[in-house]
Amino acid sequence: MHPAFSVIFFTVLSGAGFGLFALIYLADLFKLGGGLPGAYVFWTGVLAIVMVGVGLMSSTFHLANPKNAWRAFSRWRTSWLSREGVLSVAFYPFALAYLGLYWLDMWPVVRHFSGAVATLLAWLTIFSTAMIYASLKTIRHWNTPLVPAAYLSLGHFSGGMILLVVAMLAGVQTLPFVLLSLFQLFVAAFVKVIYYYWIGRLGVGSTINTATGFTRAQVKLLDAGHTHGTFLTQEFGYIVPRLTAVSLRLISMFLAFAVPLVLLYAAMEYHAPMLGVAALVSVFAGLVAERWLFFAEARHVVNLYHGAQRC
Amino acid sequence: MNARIPVEDHSKQEIKYSTCYMCACRCGIKVTLQEGKVRYIQGNRNHPTNQGVLCAKGSAGIMKQYSKAKLSQPLIRKPGSERGAGEFEAIEWEQALDILTNRLQEIRATDPSKLAFFTGRDQMQALTGLWAQQFGTPNWAAHGGFCSVNMAAAGLYTIGFSFWEFGAPDWDYAKYFILWGVAEDHSSNPIKIGLEKLKRGGGKFVSVNPVRTGYSAIADEWVPIRPGMDGLLAMSIVHVLLSRELFDYEFLINYTNAPWLVIQNPGHKDDGLFLRDGNGNPQVWDLEKETFVNGADVGITPALFGDFVAQDGRRLKTAFTLMAERYLDERYAPANVAAECGVPAETIERIALEMAHVAFKEAIELPIEWTDVWGRKHDKVIGRPVAMYAMRGISAHSNGFHSCRAIHFIQMLLGALDGPGNFRARAPYPKPIPPHQLPENNLDIINAPNTALSRPPLGFPTRPEDLVIDEHGNPLRIDKAFSWEAPLSSHGLMHMVITNAVNHDPYALDTLILFMANMAWNSSMNTKNIQDMLREKDPEEPGQYKIPFLVVVDAFHSEMVNFADLVLPDTTYLERHDCISLLDRPISEPDAAADAIRYPLVTPDRNVRPWQEVMVELASRLKFPAFTKPDGSRRFKDYPDFIVNYERSPGVGFLSGWRGKDGDKFLKGEPNPNQWQKYIENQSFFAHHWPDNQKYMRFVNRDYLEVAADAGFVGKVEPIIMQFYSEPLQKFRLAGQGLYDGPQPKDPADRERLARYFDPLPLWYEPLEQQRVDAGEYPFFALTQRPMFMYHSWDSQNVWLRQIMAQNFLYMNARKAADMGLKDYDWVWVESHNGRIRCQLKTMEGTQEDTVWTWNAIGKQKGTWGLKEDASEATKGFLLNHLISELLPEKQGERRLTNSDPVSGQAAWFDLRVKIYKAQAGETGSWPQFDRVKKLPSDHYSRPDVLRYDARREHEKD
Amino acid sequence: MRLGLVIDLDVCVGCHACAVSCKEWNASGTTGPLTDYQPYGAEPSGVWFNRIRHFEVGTYPNNKTVNFPMSCMHCEDADCVTVCPTGASYKRAEDGIVLVDQDKCMGCNYCSWACPYGARELDRESGTMKKCTLCVDRIYDQAIPEEERQPSCVLTCPAHARMFGDFDDPDSEVSKVVREREGYVLMPELGYNPTNHYLPPRKHKPIPTDIGADKAGLAGKLKQFVNRMVKR
Repeated sequence: MHPAFSVIFFTVLSGAGFGLFALIYLADLFKLGGGLPGAYVFWTGVLAIVMVGVGLMSSTFHLANPKNAWRAFSRWRTSWLSREGVLSVAFYPFALAYLGLYWLDMWPVVRHFSGAVATLLAWLTIFSTAMIYASLKTIRHWNTPLVPAAYLSLGHFSGGMILLVVAMLAGVQTLPFVLLSLFQLFVAAFVKVIYYYWIGRLGVGSTINTATGFTRAQVKLLDAGHTHGTFLTQEFGYIVPRLTAVSLRLISMFLAFAVPLVLLYAAMEYHAPMLGVAALVSVFAGLVAERWLFFAEARHVVNLYHGAQRC
Repeated sequence: MNARIPVEDHSKQEIKYSTCYMCACRCGIKVTLQEGKVRYIQGNRNHPTNQGVLCAKGSAGIMKQYSKAKLSQPLIRKPGSERGAGEFEAIEWEQALDILTNRLQEIRATDPSKLAFFTGRDQMQALTGLWAQQFGTPNWAAHGGFCSVNMAAAGLYTIGFSFWEFGAPDWDYAKYFILWGVAEDHSSNPIKIGLEKLKRGGGKFVSVNPVRTGYSAIADEWVPIRPGMDGLLAMSIVHVLLSRELFDYEFLINYTNAPWLVIQNPGHKDDGLFLRDGNGNPQVWDLEKETFVNGADVGITPALFGDFVAQDGRRLKTAFTLMAERYLDERYAPANVAAECGVPAETIERIALEMAHVAFKEAIELPIEWTDVWGRKHDKVIGRPVAMYAMRGISAHSNGFHSCRAIHFIQMLLGALDGPGNFRARAPYPKPIPPHQLPENNLDIINAPNTALSRPPLGFPTRPEDLVIDEHGNPLRIDKAFSWEAPLSSHGLMHMVITNAVNHDPYALDTLILFMANMAWNSSMNTKNIQDMLREKDPEEPGQYKIPFLVVVDAFHSEMVNFADLVLPDTTYLERHDCISLLDRPISEPDAAADAIRYPLVTPDRNVRPWQEVMVELASRLKFPAFTKPDGSRRFKDYPDFIVNYERSPGVGFLSGWRGKDGDKFLKGEPNPNQWQKYIENQSFFAHHWPDNQKYMRFVNRDYLEVAADAGFVGKVEPIIMQFYSEPLQKFRLAGQGLYDGPQPKDPADRERLARYFDPLPLWYEPLEQQRVDAGEYPFFALTQRPMFMYHSWDSQNVWLRQIMAQNFLYMNARKAADMGLKDYDWVWVESHNGRIRCQLKTMEGTQEDTVWTWNAIGKQKGTWGLKEDASEATKGFLLNHLISELLPEKQGERRLTNSDPVSGQAAWFDLRVKIYKAQAGETGSWPQFDRVKKLPSDHYSRPDVLRYDARREHEKD
Repeated sequence: MRLGLVIDLDVCVGCHACAVSCKEWNASGTTGPLTDYQPYGAEPSGVWFNRIRHFEVGTYPNNKTVNFPMSCMHCEDADCVTVCPTGASYKRAEDGIVLVDQDKCMGCNYCSWACPYGARELDRESGTMKKCTLCVDRIYDQAIPEEERQPSCVLTCPAHARMFGDFDDPDSEVSKVVREREGYVLMPELGYNPTNHYLPPRKHKPIPTDIGADKAGLAGKLKQFVNRMVKR
């Protein structure tokens, strides 16, 4: 699949934003590290919904006809893309209510209710985003529960890293936040490792034989019927060279998980927010690479009609 | 929930019927126009050729009409600029016509042969030929000489009709069909319609072709033959049929010259000629009467086999005995040709036997009563349902004439011609063998100023006296057609015109007019050198080019236009009147004589004129006799007037439908002033459907021949006896042997060629170029074909079609490529004895292992055809043409000879051998590259990066 | 009704007639124009509803070239419709044709991701997804002669390799031919239940070759030929 930057940016940013929102709500609820000061909670919440908002905005950049984007809310009964839109929009009033009430410091029950609902919606939105990909039978690399697992765990991991930095800056007890991040790091890394293992052993799915119906002989594409690219080859034809893919996997795992692991370990010893910021930067760099690969490595079955032997 | 789907608003639409010209098939089209813009072009359901269907080219006609390559004004080479530099000035038509008229007047009044007029894919040879004849120059031909003349000549000297336009397989009844060497989309829609019919009916389709694409893709059996070996394969099939006595006695004796007696008198002037009586009738041995009788008579019982002695003591053999002696030789046994053909012996034998089985065990009998030319009534028609078709793969070899004849031998042996399920003739064919038309060769007439030729420039020689040479044996035509070098070149040798004219061999020209022929590019062999030749100046005439004046008539900015001194811009096929006449290349089908017209559906938006109008205008200005009234005034107002009122013989004109004053006659009748209107009302075509009793066996079908004679298709009602043994060939052979009682060649090269290649029975020989090229050094055969969606079309700059293919590759057998360490998309050098090119490789299964091939005419010169400079046609596309020489490799002590079939002069495109090696790293892009052709001063087109064609609205966006 | 196409791979010669005719009809049709990019430039491209791919099956010399036209399969279980967030993509209840409402599409490409057959192409100029309409603006147009109320590709196909009809009607030409010739669908494992079917190449039955007897030797053959009395 063609890795579109707007979609990479969107999924990484909004995933982290939703994750961050859920975590800040929970951290506040359970007074993690002794409880973050109110202003930190509020501004972190604002940061989360800004990240979500910027992410959602950027996702519209890949629409060829954005003037009809409002129609995307209409098919929530069947379309995960529509659900994502509906849920993400539904998230806002609750999230804003939560933050507003937090700022005004009133109606704690309503505030908690709003926060809980917004958190639930954040999780559902990340899940819907993931299901956009995971529901496609045409792309086996995505058609797996590992995709929502990865989106959820990575969203929380990256959001959690932001929260850790916030905690460091707020001067609260950081150990619980470090431990939370470590836990999320291991879960996310584990899911990604499983994912890479799994896509490496996809086995036989659709092949050029099933695509053409000639199942008893070698089938090769002679000519695709057009000399230069078409929408189909541009959208689906991208092939990441094997070496690039392997290198990028290592780089992304290194940046997203190994570097933060070391820095988190260090953070347990030293209270240095810069360590957290460094880890955060590394995580986001790693996740952009991860997300780029997520698209680039996915093989759409239509490629069987453009020369691929199997997908 | 569902949006309402609006159907089309037809209120601003108009439907008109015309004839397609995107290739040579001439299908009927139904054109929907939306306020003058073309909305939809579809096949005409009522049309005999395409029956409603239409190919990719036909549908892409819209993009042709809105092409950015259209010429828009007459142009003259800028004074002081060099030819080929592409610097032009726009001029008005009056000026252009004055310049041309003055020049032609001068030539015509002094030495008419100094004008040469050659045409490419034109469909009006009856007019262009008449024009040349009236001008008085022998130097006219169309592109048949580099296309299909081997098929035409072999057919017309053997069976009276031929592959390509003069016959078609009977798809309704055929049960076995062999397609020999037919590239892609040849005879586009009819063959596609037919193959489906054949397969639906359970018939078997065998394709003999080194490449499996196009039609071959759907063959039930693919025979990947080595190029140039088809004749050998056909002769081996003949061997198998003869070995097992699988031939149709009745057919051979009744309808062929198999029983005719041939004089066996080696070393004498009568050797190999037919034994004839005092009236010239061929003699046969009558088994009942036990005497020699007239072989054309009825009531005889001819011996098919045997040695006889004539009354005067000369030894005689029947033609069939000679034939059996030759092809029963073990040389032609399947096992002995298998390696050369690349076809297993079992396959050859099996195909021969399968055909015989279908012909003899699955014969068809139709209860149709008919009468033969001898007056005998038949109560049924017997069909031996084996059909064949052959084209370029046979034609484009220098042994193609004989190969094609060998294929006709199979048809004759099986009695499978013009019967149900056979390859059948299309009116005006069959004709006498060969047709009774000789090329003008009277030197006095040819040289006479201001005098029309007494006969057309092209024809069918039957003996050395018919050649177009002077008393010293020098060619009188610039292309040396009908000279000792190519005696039966019935379509001329267009591929030799530029080379000969530049070499002043046999003489210098003054003016060369090229119509719709891209001789500076894909229609020439040796393209790069040909471009140089066009620029070559005459050292003896300072400032003058070797070809002093070059007129190019074209509708589009082709590579050829760039070399013109004068450019006359033509219209598109939707903008003009045209007629597809029974006088030249009609649209007849086996079951109907048919012709067609075009008329303007779209008004030209440029300062262009149809070339046929210009020809009528020039003919009138030059006062050609046929175009001038006795009082000296012009006879025809314009082209439509000419088409209606010109009569070749009384009652016979260009269009055969709605003749007679009231339009109630057909084929023959006085001119009808409303004829165009009648055609338009009848969807732009006319078809006379033959009644059942005139549909089959027309070479001897009396009722048919009576109509044919009346319509002028044949001279008189007489049997057309098919010729296994070709006496005309033998006469030329005798001339080569020094035994002919008439003109004989002086040059030993000519003598040798005549003696060897004018065999009265088909022979297989290694193609001429290959005889002189080391097969070890150049291990591959190299071929071209055009893709279906561009086959026989004038270009590939069409916006829609070029999306399908904008670059050609060199295709090679996958296993072979792997052995050589080559893979897909490698850049490779391809080298022949004539030069080298660089191109990109692709591998495939469906290519014979010793063969490489590419799509032709995809490669373009930068700046032409309305394309931008970086079009991949120019940067990555390539022509194989650079590797092909128009001359045979030089031989010590021999004059340079044409790279053509020695019998017919057919260009030997497919005799090429090449070697292939990988290009160095960094060597990418096609090579050679040419200078960018400059934009024409009349070219004001925008070339947007986004095109949104929609007949309902403005469609361009920059 | 369940309208769709049958493609006969036994006779498709790969001429692209259907593809170009489709382009031609639809350029000025309901969802037209169909934009072309770089029409005169380096890499010409554009929006097409119907593309012909060419495959080779088997290895030399037992290979077969298979020409393979593909357009929208008008699937029964059309994921492209399910995934569409705007409702622009829909499958008509009355005839099963899958269409894109150009007024609703936001150009998110998601439907094209869901389509395994490459049937959907984005028109970057209009910003909308375009696809085969089965010439819905021809087949119901009462102003067109009845025999021409067929998709343009079917109408034009020179090899009659394309058939159009109602798969719900067991007696329709398409239903019959699919039964008789073992028509199949592409990538059935994905479960889209495509309406369009493909007919595999026919197998030709062997022709007997036990005809005539080979005679030994040239001289022998010639001598053994006996002149038959054939009277003209």
